[in-house]
Amino acid sequence: MNVSAPSLLRRAMGVANGRAGAVALLAIALFALAAPLALPDPAIQFDIVDGALLPPSVMHPFGTDHLSRDVLSRVANGARISLAVAVIAVALSITLGAVVGLVAGFFGGAVDTILMRAVDGAMAIPRLFLLLLLVAAWDRLPLAALILVIGATGWLGTSRLVRAEVLRLREVEFIRSAQALGAGARRVMFRHLLPNTLGPLSVAAMLGVGDVILLEAGLSFLGLGVRPPTPSWGGMILDGKDVLQAAPWVSLFPGLAIVATVLAINLFGEALRRAADSGSP
Amino acid sequence: MLRTTLAISLLFGLVACDASAQRRLPGTLVIVSGEYATLPVPTLMEGPASTTENTHVADLLFLRLAVEGPGRSTLDESGYEPQLARSWSRRDSLTLVFELDPRARWHDGRNVTAEDVVFTFQRAMNPVIAPSLAELLQGIDAVRSEGQRRVVISFKRPYPEQFFDATHYVQPLPAHLLRALDPDSIAISDFAQAPVGNGAFRWSRAVPGQLLEFTANPAFFLGRPGIGRIVIRVATDASARLNLLLSGEADALRAPVPPLSNRDQLEARGFRLVTIPSSSVGYLLFNTHARGDSARPHPILADVRVRRALVLALDRDAMLRSMLGPYAKVPYGPIPTSLWLSELAPKAADRDSMQAAQLLDAAGWRDSNGDGIRDRNGAPLALTVEVPGTSMLRRRLTEIAMAQHRELGIDLSMTVSDRGVWMERLNGGNFDVIFGSLSQEPTPSAFPQTWSCEGSGNASGWCEPVVDSLMTAARRATGDATPVWLAAMRALEESAPAAFLYAPYDVVALHRRFENVSLRPGSPWMMAWRWRVRRGAEIARDRVPR
Amino acid sequence: MARWLARRLLHAVLTVAIAITLAFFLMRLAPGDPLSRLGDERPMPASELAGLRARYGLDQPLLAQYTTFVAAAVGGDFGRSIHYGRPVREIILDRLPASLLLGGGALLLTMLGGALLGALQALRRDSLLDRTAGVVSLAAYATPSFWLGLVLAWLVGIEWRLLPVGGFRDPLLAADASWMLQVADVLRHLALPLLTLTIVSIGAVMRYQRTAMLEALAQPFVAAARARGLSERRIRWRHALRTSLFPIVTLLGLWLPVLAAGSVFVESVFAWPGLGSLAAEAVGTRDYPLLMGVTLLVAVLVVLGGLLADIAYAALDPRVRPA
Repeated sequence: MNVSAPSLLRRAMGVANGRAGAVALLAIALFALAAPLALPDPAIQFDIVDGALLPPSVMHPFGTDHLSRDVLSRVANGARISLAVAVIAVALSITLGAVVGLVAGFFGGAVDTILMRAVDGAMAIPRLFLLLLLVAAWDRLPLAALILVIGATGWLGTSRLVRAEVLRLREVEFIRSAQALGAGARRVMFRHLLPNTLGPLSVAAMLGVGDVILLEAGLSFLGLGVRPPTPSWGGMILDGKDVLQAAPWVSLFPGLAIVATVLAINLFGEALRRAADSGSP
Repeated sequence: MLRTTLAISLLFGLVACDASAQRRLPGTLVIVSGEYATLPVPTLMEGPASTTENTHVADLLFLRLAVEGPGRSTLDESGYEPQLARSWSRRDSLTLVFELDPRARWHDGRNVTAEDVVFTFQRAMNPVIAPSLAELLQGIDAVRSEGQRRVVISFKRPYPEQFFDATHYVQPLPAHLLRALDPDSIAISDFAQAPVGNGAFRWSRAVPGQLLEFTANPAFFLGRPGIGRIVIRVATDASARLNLLLSGEADALRAPVPPLSNRDQLEARGFRLVTIPSSSVGYLLFNTHARGDSARPHPILADVRVRRALVLALDRDAMLRSMLGPYAKVPYGPIPTSLWLSELAPKAADRDSMQAAQLLDAAGWRDSNGDGIRDRNGAPLALTVEVPGTSMLRRRLTEIAMAQHRELGIDLSMTVSDRGVWMERLNGGNFDVIFGSLSQEPTPSAFPQTWSCEGSGNASGWCEPVVDSLMTAARRATGDATPVWLAAMRALEESAPAAFLYAPYDVVALHRRFENVSLRPGSPWMMAWRWRVRRGAEIARDRVPR
Repeated sequence: MARWLARRLLHAVLTVAIAITLAFFLMRLAPGDPLSRLGDERPMPASELAGLRARYGLDQPLLAQYTTFVAAAVGGDFGRSIHYGRPVREIILDRLPASLLLGGGALLLTMLGGALLGALQALRRDSLLDRTAGVVSLAAYATPSFWLGLVLAWLVGIEWRLLPVGGFRDPLLAADASWMLQVADVLRHLALPLLTLTIVSIGAVMRYQRTAMLEALAQPFVAAARARGLSERRIRWRHALRTSLFPIVTLLGLWLPVLAAGSVFVESVFAWPGLGSLAAEAVGTRDYPLLMGVTLLVAVLVVLGGLLADIAYAALDPRVRPA
C-alpha cells in the first residue's frame, strides 16, 4: 500500500542524510527569509571606483562586486529570489503534470494517446532549448514570466509519472469499488487517485526544485535569467564571470550557495525517495 | 580518473610539442574573435553578412584604392596613403582620376586592372545587389576606365567628401573570376568559400564557425609581410576568449570593452593593451512617439525639458570611470572617438541635479504623493529601458543610471531581452527608452541616417528641423565644413534625442613578442602585415612549416 | 515481436514529427526574425528589410512557411542557414563529430564510471566509502556545469598550463601530422569539457546503479548461487552486476537530452564546436533553418535513444515481453 505524505516525511527524517539535508534546507530557508531584514539589498554606491571588487574582509565577509555592493547581502537577498522562483515554478509544473497525468491515466483511450504522444514529442526537445525559445518570446513580463515558462516546461516527466501511478492504481480494489458504486470521474480522480500519487509527487517536487535552481543559473549564464538589479544567484555568477580570475569571490559565493542548496535538497529528496520506495509493496 | 586523464594528456602534450619544433620560419598571429566571418567579400557584406567580423577579414584580403590616414579628417584629401592606386589627381570639382599601381596582383597572379575597379563599383552602386552601399555611394555619378590602369570617377555635384566616398567603401574584386557568375549566386559560389584577394594575406583554409587561416603573400607589392600566417579562432563566450589568451593559446583579442580588473592578469601573462579609437557610441535612446504607436507623442518623453533633465541627472563621468576606466569618454552628441570631430567637440554636460530638478518641476513632474517618485496628473514618472541580454556593459551602465535617476525621483527600470526581441522593439518603436549602440562609418555624413527627421535608421521619431538643416549644410559645404558640423552637434545635444553615455576606445590585447605594431581604428588587423615577431622572442607556433 | 517493433518505430516517427512541429511554431512565436538583428550596428531602411524578408520567404503566411519546410525536410533538404549562408546540412555535419565525441564520450564515461562506482557503493553499503561517495557525487551533481568548467579552465588550463582551454583541435597542428599526433591533439582538447560534463552528470547514474545493485543483491538467485558454492567475487561481479545493469540501459535513452542541454554551457565555456552551442547561437540569431535542423537531429537522437533502450530492455529482460 502507498504511504501518506506525513509518514514519508517521518521516514525520510529517520535517515542521517535526510536529516542533514532537511536541517541544512531549513537553515537556508531561514537565511533567505531573515537575512534580508538584517542585510538589506545594497544600493549601488555612487563613487564606484574605490569600493568596487574589494576582496573579502571584516567589513565585507564575501567581498564586494563591480558596483561596490556587499556580496554577502546580495547572496542573502538572492536566496529569496532563487528559492522563490524554484518553488513556485515547481509547484506549477507539478500541478500541471498531475492534472495531465491523472486525465490521461484515468480516461485512457484516445485522450491518453493524444496527451502522451504530445508529451513524448515535447520531451524529445531538450528542456533548455524549449526554455530558450519561450524566454525569447516572453521577456516583457518580468519575474512572473520567467517562473511561468520554467514551470510550463517542467511538467512533462511528472505527467508520465502520475499516469503510470494511476494506471497501477486503477486496477486496485478500492478504486474499482468506488467506480462500481457510481462515483463520478472527478470524484474518483481527485478524492481517490490523486492522494495516492502524493508520495512519488513529493519526491519529484523536491528534486525538481534543485533542478530549477540550476536551470535558472544556466539561463542567467546566457543572460536570460532574473534581470538586474534583482539579485539572483545565477545572475550573480554571471556578474562575476568576467572577473573570475581577478575577483573570484564575486561568483564563488553565489556558486557555493547553489551547490549547498541543491545538495541539501537532493540529500533530503533522496531520503524521501528511499522512504517512498521502501513503503511500496 | 582525473589524474589518469591528466597524465595521459601531459604525455601527448610533450610529444606534440616535440614534433612541431623542427622547421623554422617567422611568426604566427592567433587572433580570437567572438564571431565567425561568414562572408568577408566586398559588395556582399549586406543584410545578415553586414557584420564587423566580415569587414575586418575583408580588410586583410582586399585593398582599397587608398586609405585615409589615421585620425585624419574625411574632408582632407591630402591625408591619404596609396594602396592599389599609386597616385591620383583631380580633373575638376566633379572628377577624380586614380592611377593603379602596376605591381598590384591578385592572389592568383593576374594583374589588378581598372576593369576590376569599374566592375566592383557597378556592383556596389546597384541597389539590387548592395542596397546599403548603393545608398552611401549616392554622390557618385559614374566610374569608368581609361586603359588598363586609369580609373575615372565622376560625381553628381561638388562636395567635401568626394575622395572619401571614392576610396573608403569599395574594395575592388577580381572581375576575371566573377564576371561570368550570376550576380546573385556569388554569395554561394566557390569564390565566397575561398575568396581570392590582393592583400598581404591570402586565404588558406576555413573551418566554418571555428577558424580561418591566412598565409602571408611573400610577393605582396607593398612589402614582404613580417608575419607568416594569421589564424582567427572563434569563441562565442567572453570568458572562453579571455581564457584562450591567458592560457597562451591565442595572441590577440579585440575586446571593445575589457573588464578593467583583467588588465593586470593579461599584463602579468605577457600581453599589452593597446588602445585605438572606436567607431561606436552607446546611448539611451528616448522615444518621442508613444510606445508602439507612431501617431501619438510619448506622454513623458515628447517634452524636450524631460529629455534634457534625464541627461543632466546622469553622472556619466563616474559611470565611465568605474566601468571603463580610461577606455572611454563621454561623447558630445553621437560622435565616436574614431571621428576627427571628437577632438574638436566641446566637453559634454556634467551632472547637474539642480537644473535637472528645475526642468522636471517646470514640466509639471513633482512628487505630489511623497513616495519618492515624481508624478503628474496621477501618473508616475516611470520609464523602462530595453537592454540586450548579451551586453554585460549595457546592463551595468543601466543599473547605475537607474540608481542615479532614482535620486531625482525618476523611476527607471530595465527589461533585458535577447537580441532578436530587442531589435524588434527598436525597429517597431516599441519602447520608452532603449539602450542602443551604433558603429558608424568614419564620416559625419553618416549621422543623418540615424539622427535626422527622415533618417532611415531613426527609430525614435525624434525630429528637430534645425539639426537637419545644419547637417545638410555641412555635407554640401564648399568651404570648411567643421564649424557647421559642430553647430549641428550643439543643436542636437540641446534637443537631447538620447543620453549619449559612452564613446569607447577599442582595446586590443596583444602578445608582447610582436613589434612594429600599428592598429587602425575600425580595422585593427589591416596593417598586421607590417608587424613582426621580436627576434629571440619566438615561441613554438612562430616556426611556421611552409 | 515484429509487430511490436513496427508499432514502436511508428511511434518514434510520430514523436519526431510532433517535436519539430512544436519547435517550428514556438520559434515563430518569439518576436523578431533572422533579419531583425540587422539594424543593430548599422542603420537599415525598412524597405530594404522588407526586400530581404521576401528573399528568405519570411513574408509568407506561417502555415505556408510550415508546409514548405516540411515538404523540403522530408526530402532531406533543410535549407540554407541565414546567418552562415551555407546549407544547414553541411553546417550540422561539420559540427557533428565534435558533438558526438563530447556527448558520446560523456555518455560512456558517465555510464561506465557511474555503474562501477554505484556498484562499489552498493557492495560496501553504508560504509564510509558509500556515504562519502554519495555526498560527493550529489555535490558534483549540484554544481552548475559552466561554473565548474570556468574553474577547471582556470586551474588546469591557465594556472598549470596542462591542457588547452578551448576548441576542438590545435589550429596550428600541421595537416600532415601523423594520425597519432592528431588523435592526441583532439584528446587533449576533449579532456576538460569531457571531465566537466562527466563530473556534473555521473552522480545521478551512481545513485541509480547503487539502488539497482542493492536490489539485485537481494534477489533469490544470489542466495541460490551462494548455495551452489560460487565464489562471492563471481556472484557479485558477474551475476548481481549484470542484473543491476538493466535499469541503467533504460537510462541511456533518457540521458541524451540531458547531455545535449548540459553541453550548451560546457561547449560555450570551452569554445567546443558542438551542436549545443550551435543551437543556442541559432536561437539568438533567430536562424530558423539552422535551428530547425539542429532540433530535428536532437529529437531524432533522443527518440532513437529511447527506442534502442526499449529494445535492449525487452531483449535483456525476459519478463518484459511486448504484447
